[in-house]
Amino acid sequence: MRRRGAVPVKLPYVEYEAPATVAEAVDLLAEHQDEASVLAGGQSLIPLLALRLARPAVLIDINGLDELSGVSVTDGWMVIGAMTREYVAEESEIVAGTVPLLAAALPLIGHEAIRSRGTIGGSLAHADPAGELPAVARALDAEFVVRSRPGDRVVSAAEWFEGYLTTSRRPDEILVEIRFPAAGADTGIAFKEVARRHGDFAIVGLAVSLTLTDGVIGDARLAFSGVADVPVRAADAEDLLIGESPSPELFDEAARRATAAIDPPADLHGSSEYRKKVAATLVRRGLQAAADNAYKRR
Amino acid sequence: MTQIAAERYTGASIKRSEDPRILTGRGRYIADVKLPGTLHAAFVRSPLAHARVLAVDVSAARDLPGVVAVFTGADLEAVTVPGPDPLLALMGGGGPMPEYTLLATDKVRFVGDPVAVVVAESRYLAEDGCELVDVDYADLPPVPSAALALDPGSPPVFVNLGDNIIGPHKRSEFGDVAGTFAGADRIAEFRIDVHRHQNVPMEGRGCVASHDADSGIMTMYAATQSVHVTKFGVAGRLGMEPEKVRVLAGDIGGSFGLKIGASREELAVAAAARALGRPVKWIEDRSENLTASGQAREESFDVRAAVGNDGDLRGLDVKMVIDTGAYPVMGTMVPAIIEMMLPGPYKLTALGFESTAVITNKASYVAYRGPWASETFVRERVLDLLARDLGIDPLEIRLRNVAPRTDPPFTMITGRPLVGVTTKESLERVAQIVDIPTFRRRQAEERTQGRYLGIGLATFIEAAPGPRSPGPPSGPMGLEYMRLSLSEDGILTLFTGQMPHGQSHQTTLAQIAADEFGVPFEQVRVVIGDSDVVPFGLTGGSRSATMTGGVTLHGARQLRNKVLDFAAVLMEASARDLEITDGQVLVRGDPDSGIPVGEIARQAASGQFDADVDTSLEVEASFDGGEGGWSGGSHCAIVEVDVETGIVKVERYVAAEDCGALINPAVVEGQIRGGIAQGIGAVLLERSAYDQDGNYQSATFMDYLLPTACDIPRIEIEHLETVPLDADVNFRGVGEGGMIVAPPTLVNAIEDALAPFGVRIYEQHLPPARILELIGAAAKSRP
Amino acid sequence: MVDITVRVNGATHTGSVEARKTLSDFLRDDLDLTGTHVGCEHGVCGACTVIVDGRAVRSCLMLAVQAAGSEVTTVEGLAPDGALGALQQAMWDSHSFQCGFCTPGFVMQAAALLRAHPDAGEQEIREALSGNICRCTGYQSIIDGVLLAAQRGREG
Repeated sequence: MRRRGAVPVKLPYVEYEAPATVAEAVDLLAEHQDEASVLAGGQSLIPLLALRLARPAVLIDINGLDELSGVSVTDGWMVIGAMTREYVAEESEIVAGTVPLLAAALPLIGHEAIRSRGTIGGSLAHADPAGELPAVARALDAEFVVRSRPGDRVVSAAEWFEGYLTTSRRPDEILVEIRFPAAGADTGIAFKEVARRHGDFAIVGLAVSLTLTDGVIGDARLAFSGVADVPVRAADAEDLLIGESPSPELFDEAARRATAAIDPPADLHGSSEYRKKVAATLVRRGLQAAADNAYKRR
Repeated sequence: MTQIAAERYTGASIKRSEDPRILTGRGRYIADVKLPGTLHAAFVRSPLAHARVLAVDVSAARDLPGVVAVFTGADLEAVTVPGPDPLLALMGGGGPMPEYTLLATDKVRFVGDPVAVVVAESRYLAEDGCELVDVDYADLPPVPSAALALDPGSPPVFVNLGDNIIGPHKRSEFGDVAGTFAGADRIAEFRIDVHRHQNVPMEGRGCVASHDADSGIMTMYAATQSVHVTKFGVAGRLGMEPEKVRVLAGDIGGSFGLKIGASREELAVAAAARALGRPVKWIEDRSENLTASGQAREESFDVRAAVGNDGDLRGLDVKMVIDTGAYPVMGTMVPAIIEMMLPGPYKLTALGFESTAVITNKASYVAYRGPWASETFVRERVLDLLARDLGIDPLEIRLRNVAPRTDPPFTMITGRPLVGVTTKESLERVAQIVDIPTFRRRQAEERTQGRYLGIGLATFIEAAPGPRSPGPPSGPMGLEYMRLSLSEDGILTLFTGQMPHGQSHQTTLAQIAADEFGVPFEQVRVVIGDSDVVPFGLTGGSRSATMTGGVTLHGARQLRNKVLDFAAVLMEASARDLEITDGQVLVRGDPDSGIPVGEIARQAASGQFDADVDTSLEVEASFDGGEGGWSGGSHCAIVEVDVETGIVKVERYVAAEDCGALINPAVVEGQIRGGIAQGIGAVLLERSAYDQDGNYQSATFMDYLLPTACDIPRIEIEHLETVPLDADVNFRGVGEGGMIVAPPTLVNAIEDALAPFGVRIYEQHLPPARILELIGAAAKSRP
Repeated sequence: MVDITVRVNGATHTGSVEARKTLSDFLRDDLDLTGTHVGCEHGVCGACTVIVDGRAVRSCLMLAVQAAGSEVTTVEGLAPDGALGALQQAMWDSHSFQCGFCTPGFVMQAAALLRAHPDAGEQEIREALSGNICRCTGYQSIIDGVLLAAQRGREG
């Protein structure tokens, strides 16, 4: 841990660019590469700048890029522009109807004032492993579309999250949109988290999506937040669930497998042991809620 | 016999006169003070807990455009009066004092210890300058805990002291300790720990200092609980006559004991302003506030209890260790208050007590709302632990041990009489409101469903101001002063040294004065916050309700008598037949005879009267507290603990309190709820955490967690009929009680919820992870 | 330095600011609107809350340059000429505040809440205000002020 004696809270000097088009933004990134930070909602980046933990030479403010906002559905995928504000997504009927897991997670992000400015793309590009959206993206195998001068590239969620606050976005790329698969009729979802206070980052969170057809689990997705430096799929637990019928015993075993595979970090808010216990509880409660949810949706 | 004026305002929840400006953003807080030519200060602070400072290179910082000056510790020592902390010197018992420089010179002693101050055209530029100051440190082994500091071989934080033990407070005994313990049916032993947490007002510290070279006057805009104490602090350190220092304060965004006197940073800013001949402004940011402004409550207690099998708590023997941090002041004074208060409102007949204060590489221990609160935590925890061991109900064990209200009053074994204490009544009332038997049935039912609810009780008394004691009061907690004057516009002005920072004095004192003097509430003005204008005073220790309420009442009465004596001459009537009602002096029974008080004042100023007529419609009053008295109460909490996640929900919270007569019930209830919220925060959320290298870990609001609107339930408050002790002044303080008694109330409830797991709790901080640890540990230790 | 034009409380202001200057500092220092308070500067306490284009935002988490072309309302602009609007009156009547430092943030967040959800009940109010921190009151009096404003709004 870097040793700092009472951190400052005024931002350091930065140059500032406000491109009017995505093409301009791409050009600026080609020019400045990792000397630049992209300023979207600012709810994560500005505190980092204020605490002088991030020191870019240039801020590229993309709030003027209206073309990057919007929600639409195409071919079984919901496409959401990177600059779509979290509150817009939260109020969107398309999101609620198409990707209910995302709709469930959005109200848990911080507080209303944060969601007024924060963006879907900004949150996913910031990639805080304790955040709600990375876990949702990882659970649903969302796809990330990044653009640079050579063109567009599609990155799977598994490849997107590389490490703590680190994604596979290259310095000359800008995230333009994220695609989430549309939930089918048999889908049940839940987003559960344990946080110290309402609106805080989760100590541990869990995104759950499963399909339940004639009482049998067809597809199961579980992704944790807060147990590693990236969101983590509980693959062993998922394998166990597929083809089985929901029961407390099944969910207990899923919880055991899920926690056996994680080695969470310790911090002021919880030890590694505590996080594992909470993770197990969230698996049990999350699977039960998702199973109940699936029946309701039918 | 003087008549008490009809009570129109006192006792009513009169709307605050402070609120129109507060609600429209027109408050004047320290950060809002803007003087022409102001420069801005930022501090370079140590990233290390314990290190020698080998060199401080400020050249690059000085060269940064926009930076006007950089001062090191040595620079400031050269232009100020060196010496130990003045309060410590005042209270200290002789012997070597810890070295006290404004900025660190040869050593840094905690993470955040200020090393240099950069003064620039803006705070942004000042922080840029701070980054360019190059400090060469040589690490020293840290003393990050009291346990290590107790070792006489630990590296001394102050070399001249030789070790880190600043206050071995020699053992005191009250009553027959040996006999009581020898004759006890059983001896119980506990080790109880209270964790470090802190004040965290929403506004941090700050000041604007401006020195005029021609007149030699230093004007200090401050956020402080006493303009006079700050004035003496600044004058002393800067080597100035106190008359040459003027301290001004406006609205203050909370303090809870933090903003008293003048801190090292504020003195550094004042010295810089004098050296530069321009105003210098420092506004503490949140990370400075959390890291460096000071912390509180880190105390541990080894307790032995002499107990009867029927639940009599006969004696306590307590050894205490307090972690005073790196620049000890307040921490050395708290043990004596804890010793005095430990018996509480109970029949304890023997007390043995000794304390040790240690110095560590942490921020200084400061006063925080009820600094002695751990005495209530220890005592109320011990009672519950004993109750559980003996199979006695927690309410019963308290009722069994509470001192009866007798005449003459029962006296605490440590000396103070429990005159007017209504502990028994408040315990019974709170139990009645909560309906404990019904709760117990519900608790049992919920347990069969795997839900764990708990109920906890605790009681306290608070010396707000405490009963009349022999001899005159003295020092900052002594007499209370007020100047009252009637002016020609009919306004009654109260000049007080009180410095409200949320207490609503500009409303409550006006209520009392309006009633006693006889003018409408709107015709009273309360002047605060100018050391050139107001008498000495300090807002703290929950004294203002009694002391300032009392001096207001008596002063207004004296002034009314003066006005009536003069009016008698003016109106050619007898003063006995005159009264002041609704702002008019009139002959009793003759409403047409009324003359507005403003007109009376104009006449008095006209110079038309003989020399033997007293025309100065002004009074300088003082008040010694009258009969004084205790405040106190009993609280009860119902909680639910999620035993899979450790999350605690406070479902219900009830307080039955007795603070004597209420001046303004809404103000009283606000104070109680705010204190309780801080107590809930302390137990569930707040900790000033240091790691084993002395690195501070709670430096932002992401890590130092404060309770929010989702964490504090509706709090039900019942006011008890009080025992009037004084003919006139029965208002008693209420500011600190909620914070004193809420932590044991809540911990008692949590332990009750976890009783099926065999959990026993000996600490105050119970975050979710700790709750699960306690459940797990109890499971392991069961045979 | 970046030239900006921003509308605050209905008036147009032009200025030249460093890109790094926060909206909160711009309002307080450049426009002398000191009603917006700064409590943490890392987006947690909510004391700096203002309304931008109809939404409550934390002004310490916006750069002044980002407010260009937007409509900003601060606590000073909630009711004209220093009068008390209905919400502020209800809070006065409810003894909502003590030291007043958190107050502007609460007022603005509550104003935004009631505009969008005039029928908000207690739990909804608590959750909506859970991002604003008060150290003095324990929140009950603030909730009561907002409930009173909502009730009076329904009564017309």
